[in-house]
Amino acid sequence: MDLLAQILINGVLLGGLYAVMALGLALVWGVLNIVNLAHGAFIMLGGYLSWHLYTYLGIDPFLGLPITAVVMFCLGYALQRGVLNLVVRAPMFNTLLITFGLEVVLTYLAQLAFSADFRTINPSYAGSSIALGPVVVPVARLMAFGVAVALTVGMWLFLLHSRLGRAIRATAQNLVAARLYGVEPRHLYAMTFGIGIGLAGAAGGLYGTVSQIDPYIGATLTAKSFAIAIIGGLDNPLGVLVGGLVLGIIESLTVLYVGATFGDVASFGVLVLVLIFRPSGLLGKTA
Amino acid sequence: MKGLRWILLVAALVVLAAVPWFGSDVLVQFGINALLLAVLAQGWNIIGGYTGYASFGNSVFYGLGSYGVAIAMVQWELPFAIGMVFGVVLAVAFAFLLGLPVLRLRGHYFAIATLALAQVMIAIVSNLSIAGQNIGLVLPPLNDDRLFYELSLILLIAATATVFWLTRSRFGFGLIAIRENEEGAAVMGVNTTLYKVLAFALSGVFSALAGGIHAYWITFLDPASAFDISLNVKMIIMAVFGGPGTVLGPVLGAFVLSTVSELLSSEITSVAGLFFGLVVVVAVIFMPRGVADLMRRFRATGWRYFVKNLKAHRI
Repeated sequence: MDLLAQILINGVLLGGLYAVMALGLALVWGVLNIVNLAHGAFIMLGGYLSWHLYTYLGIDPFLGLPITAVVMFCLGYALQRGVLNLVVRAPMFNTLLITFGLEVVLTYLAQLAFSADFRTINPSYAGSSIALGPVVVPVARLMAFGVAVALTVGMWLFLLHSRLGRAIRATAQNLVAARLYGVEPRHLYAMTFGIGIGLAGAAGGLYGTVSQIDPYIGATLTAKSFAIAIIGGLDNPLGVLVGGLVLGIIESLTVLYVGATFGDVASFGVLVLVLIFRPSGLLGKTA
Repeated sequence: MKGLRWILLVAALVVLAAVPWFGSDVLVQFGINALLLAVLAQGWNIIGGYTGYASFGNSVFYGLGSYGVAIAMVQWELPFAIGMVFGVVLAVAFAFLLGLPVLRLRGHYFAIATLALAQVMIAIVSNLSIAGQNIGLVLPPLNDDRLFYELSLILLIAATATVFWLTRSRFGFGLIAIRENEEGAAVMGVNTTLYKVLAFALSGVFSALAGGIHAYWITFLDPASAFDISLNVKMIIMAVFGGPGTVLGPVLGAFVLSTVSELLSSEITSVAGLFFGLVVVVAVIFMPRGVADLMRRFRATGWRYFVKNLKAHRI
């Protein structure tokens, strides 16, 4: 029973992190109708950026997150404005291919720049944990979970109440009507993509504190983010949070009861099942 | 003109077939790799280029073909040919069992579902004792590069002939109709589900055969290399660069990119990977219909061809 409680806690903490990973992907997908296959590679870049800030400048990974997010935001804004804008109205097939190409480029650039060795961000409190009765909660994971939930709720409030957030939602619903109301689509698309990549960067920083970063983590993280976005639907960041928690718990339970190598099988199996039976997401509207 | 084309084609084939008799060992080994990649690109062309379903899971077929041969030869001590048949059976079974549900998905959903399947296969095969778990299997060695080269060439010719048949058969027209407008195709009486699954299976057969030849040639395989996702990267990029939905485009793309990548990787390995990524980004922006379309139109439009593509889909 204690073991089960521990596994559930681990799953929930992991799930919060998963939610931030998927948040940017779901936002870009919902607004630009681009499934960014390079999303995981941006998470990887964010992780390396946090690692460098911590290792060479001594900036705490959690305090450094805003820096990582802003730098990644600028990268995302520029990429959308300069490259992806050229294909934004192309058939879906082409946008999949171009982001796939970006993924390959980023992976190999990272390999050239950072080598294939894996890195972990290890602040002084990395090993410490809090005991809650029989259950042990690692501090770094708890902090990552807290930041993740705060980011998700913040994103939700931003989309709901801010002027830019409303413009983003309006564009997602109807580009032509949004244009008539004065939305400049090139700027708005770039802002949206930038926010998505900024979130990916923050997720990467958090990921680096609880797991290992190497240049090749991108593809798996993209597929997981996609699974979460599918489970949670694209309409609402809170749905993505639920999706992340579901996936985190399923993975932790599978690792315990079936075997460590089956964690990914479970999450992708869930993805395929959800796609087949509810293609618009567990919480999404039916198509 | 038409006759001249056939003569050129036959001449090119004769030269290709003769390579093992005058080329060096290195050239023959490079040739086997390039031919097998061309088969994979051509196989992907059937489901991705003609049917319009971006499969990121064709490496699963390749892996199944490799393991079909390896399991038959190592565990059951059967000859290579029966192993190939076994690999094909596995691939077709996979295409029907998982293709039926997955091919109901459109666009992004299909692409990611196949990507997920490819990752799941590595984990599953790593846990099967008949497949040697994550240690892998070692096949009996056969030191005959000429044989492997000619087998690969024959397979490529068969794949290309199949794609050529698609361009002038009822089945192929059905696939193209699905690519252009799936509802429209269904209204016109195309059994879309059946056609899509058959296209997936056909594309799988060629990938599996390529995997089988490669396994026997390399004589060793493990889950990570047999179901290597970067192989998907290569076959898609080669098909897109050459011209998806054309008969010779993917073959051309595979030969050109294999050569460039071989030259680059003699310098630094990761530069070749970087190059592949850049090629696909630039190709999607400037020539989304590949080299085959470029060669057809460039004479008439000149450099404006690139400008026109650049302006076509921006906002």
